[in-house]
Amino acid sequence: MSIFERFTEGWKKYRKPGYYREFDYHWAMTIDLDKCTGCEACVTACKAENNLPIVGEEEFAKGREVQWIRIERYWEGEYPNVKLGFIPMLCQHCDAAPCETVCPVSATYHNQDGLNTQIYNRCIGTRSCAVYCPFEVRYFNFNDHHWDSPLDQQLNPDVTVREKGVMEKCTFCIQRIRQAKDDAKDDGRRRVRDGEVQPACVQSCPSNALVFGDRKDPDSQVAKSMKDPRAYRVLEELNTDPSVVYLKKVDAKG
Amino acid sequence: MPKIERREFLKLVGAGSVGVGAGFMLRETIKHPPEYLIPHVVAPEDFSTGIATWYNTVCSMCSAGCGISVRTREGRAKKIEGNPNHPVSQGKLCGLGQSGLQVLYNPDRLTGPLQRMSARGGETFEQITWNEGLSRVADRLDLLRAAGRGNRICLLSQGVGGHLAQLFELFMAELGSERLLHYDYDHPHTLYAANRQFFGEEHLPYYDLKNTRYLLSFGADYLGNWISPVHHSLGFGHSRQGRPDIRGRFVQIEPRMSMSGAAADEWIAAKPGTEGVLALGLAHHLITQGYYQGADLDAWRQALRDYTTTQVAEQTGVATTTITRLANTFARSQSSLAIGGGIAANHSNGVDTLVAVNALNYLVGNLGKEGGLLFNPEPAGSVSHPRQASFRTMLKLAKDAREGNIEVLILNGTNPAFTMPAAAGFTEALSEIPLIVSLSSFMDETTALADIILPSHTYLESWGDDFPEPGVGFPTGAVSQPVVSPLYNTRATGDIILTLAQHSGLSDAIPWNSMEDCLKDGWREIYERADEETRTESFEVFWRSMLKAGVWGEKSQRDQTFTLAEGVIDNIGVAPPEFSGSPDDYPFVLHPYISNSFHDGRGANLPWMQELPDTMTSVVYGSWVELNPVTAEGLGLKEGDLVDIESPHGRVRAPVYVYPAIMPDVVAMPIGQGHSTYGRYAKDRGVNPIEILSAQMEPHTGSLASSATRVKIVATGKRVELIKTGGTSRDLGREIVQRFDPTAQSKTGGAHSTQLNSIPITTVTT
Amino acid sequence: MQAETNDLQYADVNNDIVRSIVETGPRYYVALGIAGGVALLCFFFPWFYQLYFGIGAAGLNHPGVWGTYLASFIFWIGLSHSGTLLSCVLHLTNSSWRKAMYRSAEAMTLFSLMVAATFVMVHVGRPWFIHWALPYANQMEMWPNFRSPLLFDVMAIATYLTGSSIFIYMGSIPDFAAVRDRTTGWRNTMYTLLSLGWRGTDREWHRLHWAYTFLAVLIIPLAVSVHSIVSWDFAMSLVPALHQTIFAPYFVVGAIYSGTAGIVTVMFVLRRYMNFEQYITKVHFDNLGKLLLLLSLIWTYINMVELFTAWYSDTSTEHEALSYKLFGYYAWLYWEMIAFCAVAPLLCISGRFRTSMVPMLILSIAINIGMYTERFLIVGTSLSRQYLPDSWGVYVPSLVEMSIILGSFALFTTLFLIFVKIFPSVSIYEVKETMDTPTVTSNAEPIAPPEGSPA
Ligand SMILES: Nc1nc2c(c(=O)[nH]1)N[C@H]1C(S)=C(S)[C@@H](COP(=O)(O)OP(=O)(O)OC[C@H]3O[C@@H](n4cnc5c(=O)[nH]c(N)nc54)[C@H](O)[C@@H]3O)O[C@H]1N2
Ligand SMILES: Nc1nc2c(c(=O)[nH]1)N[C@H]1C(S)=C(S)[C@@H](COP(=O)(O)OP(=O)(O)OC[C@H]3O[C@@H](n4cnc5c(=O)[nH]c(N)nc54)[C@H](O)[C@@H]3O)O[C@H]1N2
Ligand code: SF4
Ligand code: SF4
Ligand code: SF4
Ligand code: SF4
Ligand code: SF4
Repeated sequence: MSIFERFTEGWKKYRKPGYYREFDYHWAMTIDLDKCTGCEACVTACKAENNLPIVGEEEFAKGREVQWIRIERYWEGEYPNVKLGFIPMLCQHCDAAPCETVCPVSATYHNQDGLNTQIYNRCIGTRSCAVYCPFEVRYFNFNDHHWDSPLDQQLNPDVTVREKGVMEKCTFCIQRIRQAKDDAKDDGRRRVRDGEVQPACVQSCPSNALVFGDRKDPDSQVAKSMKDPRAYRVLEELNTDPSVVYLKKVDAKG
Repeated sequence: MPKIERREFLKLVGAGSVGVGAGFMLRETIKHPPEYLIPHVVAPEDFSTGIATWYNTVCSMCSAGCGISVRTREGRAKKIEGNPNHPVSQGKLCGLGQSGLQVLYNPDRLTGPLQRMSARGGETFEQITWNEGLSRVADRLDLLRAAGRGNRICLLSQGVGGHLAQLFELFMAELGSERLLHYDYDHPHTLYAANRQFFGEEHLPYYDLKNTRYLLSFGADYLGNWISPVHHSLGFGHSRQGRPDIRGRFVQIEPRMSMSGAAADEWIAAKPGTEGVLALGLAHHLITQGYYQGADLDAWRQALRDYTTTQVAEQTGVATTTITRLANTFARSQSSLAIGGGIAANHSNGVDTLVAVNALNYLVGNLGKEGGLLFNPEPAGSVSHPRQASFRTMLKLAKDAREGNIEVLILNGTNPAFTMPAAAGFTEALSEIPLIVSLSSFMDETTALADIILPSHTYLESWGDDFPEPGVGFPTGAVSQPVVSPLYNTRATGDIILTLAQHSGLSDAIPWNSMEDCLKDGWREIYERADEETRTESFEVFWRSMLKAGVWGEKSQRDQTFTLAEGVIDNIGVAPPEFSGSPDDYPFVLHPYISNSFHDGRGANLPWMQELPDTMTSVVYGSWVELNPVTAEGLGLKEGDLVDIESPHGRVRAPVYVYPAIMPDVVAMPIGQGHSTYGRYAKDRGVNPIEILSAQMEPHTGSLASSATRVKIVATGKRVELIKTGGTSRDLGREIVQRFDPTAQSKTGGAHSTQLNSIPITTVTT
Repeated sequence: MQAETNDLQYADVNNDIVRSIVETGPRYYVALGIAGGVALLCFFFPWFYQLYFGIGAAGLNHPGVWGTYLASFIFWIGLSHSGTLLSCVLHLTNSSWRKAMYRSAEAMTLFSLMVAATFVMVHVGRPWFIHWALPYANQMEMWPNFRSPLLFDVMAIATYLTGSSIFIYMGSIPDFAAVRDRTTGWRNTMYTLLSLGWRGTDREWHRLHWAYTFLAVLIIPLAVSVHSIVSWDFAMSLVPALHQTIFAPYFVVGAIYSGTAGIVTVMFVLRRYMNFEQYITKVHFDNLGKLLLLLSLIWTYINMVELFTAWYSDTSTEHEALSYKLFGYYAWLYWEMIAFCAVAPLLCISGRFRTSMVPMLILSIAINIGMYTERFLIVGTSLSRQYLPDSWGVYVPSLVEMSIILGSFALFTTLFLIFVKIFPSVSIYEVKETMDTPTVTSNAEPIAPPEGSPA
């Protein structure tokens, strides 16, 4: 192919509106706030699966904890008519992710699965993505982390341990997606089946508040769940187009 | 060839490089960029993930008995997940259960047998061999047994079930001792007692949360730590959004909002200890409104005559309209369910309260019905309850120790020095015992008093089995198997007992060489109890398939008909709760609650749990005391102000957390922190509110009335910064947690889509 | 000014200035030693400590992921502005009073830019990979992200640095030649190389003027764009109180403002300690004072616009950011900034104030403290109050950061001290241009009148 042809081809492809939405898969998650009990099993699961560091009391006090998924709490009303709403907050895998545009070295970008990926090797630690992310789900490694031996024996060999100076965040458990794709290939299937990929948080959630899947597949749990009348996105007005969709908590009295 | 001048040459070179550079740039710009970035996120074809081995076993982090699957790679445990086959956990797991890995790989584990080198209270131990340790203990046991003083041996274990519990029974019986006790701080004695009174059997029923439409919980933090939180959460999720067109509703009645209270549709604060009165108030309303039409209606009317709505409203502080509304909805939503426990049961009237809750279920016909309360068949194996020591039994043990009637105490896993109030004098009593042997894996507060430590394997390294006590409606059990080879010079608890038995020549009665053999023998009986058709060809096949599935179950249903025992109705009634300390000197009721992360303190040595923000407050690494905003303001206290929480029995110091959902005259503290030893992550962190509890008891069961201590709050003028993740927990109109009013919006746009929680139970047929 | 330099002779100018290069007294070495030592101790040592232990050595946290390093970066970029930019503007407007000060002002630009660039290195988590932000051809075929405002930054700063370097160098060529002619040994060799064979012919002068003016025209928009682009690092985010259209002019004005104040400080030092009383005069201070007054008014106006926009937006996020700025954790810093940058410069209304050296020095330093605060607040307050209230937090700089800020001034001073020994810090030939034509003396060649001119 001549340079010219390649150029025109590329031009056509990338000029097409929404070309960047042409994903192989489009992974998405729904979080049912009516089911979530705030138990934080998901938080622990993510720590275990993704080798999140134990930062220690001192660092935690400085605000340097690492939680790829965290529970936020919002109180409403005053005693005795008081309510508490829990909301699990993780990377929303925005299709129009502000964190991606700002990274000077493309260390965070959208991959062909519709994931907002984080490339630790490439990250130079400007932390601008964390500033640009309105959901504040990006966590920086302020120091090298240490596991008191033999706690390190637990570390998941499928997931790297991040060094000081790099940013990290929820990956939608990309290693599990990878595994499921491998399994599908081994079975001679073209695509991963619905429910075959369960990120650690989804896997553990005792109330089944989390649903994960490929929203390109209209029959998938997640695609159906996203059509629920209770579906909404957090900070929708910012138009980052998140792949994480929340289902409203039902407010029923009596 | 034309002659090229120097200048021309330079110009050409210049133009050439610019051209080449520009061309290169152009080539780059028309490539698909991600192809050249990041080999692992867009992994190359030949990149392949490693192969893991999964072992199914049982979680031992609390008594719920969830089935777990442990992922191992290269012989190391990497992750614990729920066993999808296990009916209790159905593939799910709580945070504490997942942290079992940090029990296994805890850097502060005891790595081999130790013997005390200093007086009790010091922590100097020297390493000994297993033979030395075991023979020292066995010699003493022999001596006592020979002298007919076997009863001076006490085995105090954490609650264990299955064949280890049976082994304990055998062993102690052979030694001639009746002093075999299981002790868990949170064992629901009152619930068993209430069930015995009401249903005539001392078992836990199955609460069918999954199918219920309306749940009234009287103080039971069923999603947090009550009995079987993972299983309850499964039911909660399904009840809420798992069924088309039906959404279960949940009401929580408790003086301090627990996480179950937060998840509920409605949280109602009744005065501490009056939950039972409220239940009877509802019952009274049900009777008077004609919701109950049974033959014994008159008896009920007579028994409940003092629980009119107005009287109950006055006693409980709950509005009359609320009482009638709750009662009406409870009766009309079929199936509904009332449960009670936790804080409501830890009062001087605990059993009566829970009987009242059972009465509610009885009156609207929730017994033996789907979505209500189902009766479990007899557990297929031993459970811990019959040997569970109440607080009173523990006091008795302390008394015996002080009087010199205990000569050897064998501790297994339990940590009463931490979970008994100082007022009980338990720790002091222990020091009267000449020989204390601990089989604990960690240097906890009680083990620190031991003379000989024979450390056990963790549950992930040993054989065992469990028959979950809350039951799931049919007989089930699971074998726990080692998932990794032992890390240290430790031994399985069962093997230690077996070796001691061999030393003492008890092999006739206790013939096994290892816990594995003991288990297999036990399970052979279960195998043989199946009929010929359903049985697998051999026990070995059965055993292997069970280890693989991680669980066994029997397809049998129990008869769910129910008739009320004689005299129940006449004895119904809830007396006002008794508190220690006068309200004038001690204006607040202390509400110590089991922490979601640490349980009764056992989880405090796990760094994941230390760093897990508390569900309700987001605080990590420490203790705090929760005060109502108005109370805090009245005392001039802000978050982080250090206060002394003082009861008639002592005081502890903790920072204030202003908690929006607690009654003004109640203060709450989480249990779990405040360890004086127990490893680097737990030691000297926070305080233990159990210390200052008074030795009040529930009279029927003798269990500790842990919610019956009054305290006062004394400001110290000092401050600390609470370590927490939460910034400002108000959403300021930003609509972060959005709420949906089903009555206001049309239900168009697709059916409920949430995942049905119906992972099939693999019943390994016998 | 004319009056004051009148009694100077051409030769004196040359001698004075060349003397400042070749004759080095002990005071200089002491100053250089102290500056260099402080730079080493307060800048490089803590930085190496941070390199070793990670950015955690700073007080940064979540959500305060940006802090004083970035504030310092903007501060130094800002300071760089009045040097070359001002010099260009004054050159084009033919302001003769510029001539004695512009060389050191341009040097300031250069060194502030260098310090700013160093702060980029200090700021990032893995400075050893900083070259990944540069678009160089590599076998991995990986390019930086051209959509990133941070990359625009890299480009803008690199261009500005290149432009300013060429500008200062070009303007110095005749002076290098002058120094070359009066020195021996290694200096002679060095200045021979630096002066690129300058002989002072008409043609050379003509070309120099042409090129110089051309560059001056080019650099003005460049300087304006640099700080606009720096502001986009913030304005292109979604963070409440950062996502603002006013940011580009706000940053440019702020930059020129702090840069002008910086010039006052440097002029004071040069005048007092390099014995340049005759070249840097009260006229300079008077004019700079007027400029400061004007800039402070514009700056204050823009600040008010910023507050107004936040208030007028009527959104929870902007209101929270606004009230947090005015009354929150860092409020005392905000009011300090207002006092130093909006109120204090009003003193410049008085002519007597403008021509009093020490008060002007104090004012200029106060303005720069205020402007540093401004940069800190832009980063600090906004990050503390973002969209999700449950993630709010506060950032407080650590000792390491404080030390590095302090050390950066020493680093700047060190660079400047080295500069004055290499470059003639006052432009020899341009000062001469403002003087009367000298009388011919015996040791100077007579200047032949051009042919054909009337005798
Ligand atoms: N990080 C890391 N780097 C290493 C090593 C390491 O352990 N770790 N090991 C080092 C060692 S020991 C070695 S030998 C080198 C190996 O380095 P390489 O030689 O680069 O090894 P491969 O990637 O195995 O193979 C190169 C290519 O050959 C292609 N190929 C396969 N079969 C054929 C064929 O029949 N014909 C042609 N034309 N191509 C074919 C493959 O698809 C692949 O693209 O790597 C070295 N580099
Ligand atoms: N699937 C697959 N198999 C392959 C290949 C492949 O591409 N794919 N490549 C083939 C090729 S080309 C090669 S060369 C072989 C390599 O095969 P191996 O030689 O087995 O290579 P490694 O696993 O890289 O290294 C062996 C061990 O050396 C240890 N080691 C590292 N440094 C030292 C040291 O200084 N001293 C000692 N004593 N030990 C050290 C490492 O920890 C590791 O355990 O694999 C071959 N096998
Ligand atoms: S949530 Fe934040 S980190 Fe995740 S894609 Fe969106 S902007 Fe990026
Ligand atoms: S911290 Fe890393 S990922 Fe984030 S913007 Fe900087 S280089 Fe990119
Ligand atoms: S999807 Fe995976 S990485 Fe993301 S929060 Fe859940 S467990 Fe963590
Ligand atoms: S595990 Fe599920 S229920 Fe628990 S906090 Fe996470 S999302 Fe909520
Ligand atoms: S509830 Fe949690 S701790 Fe208890 S058994 Fe189940 S998983 Fe283990």
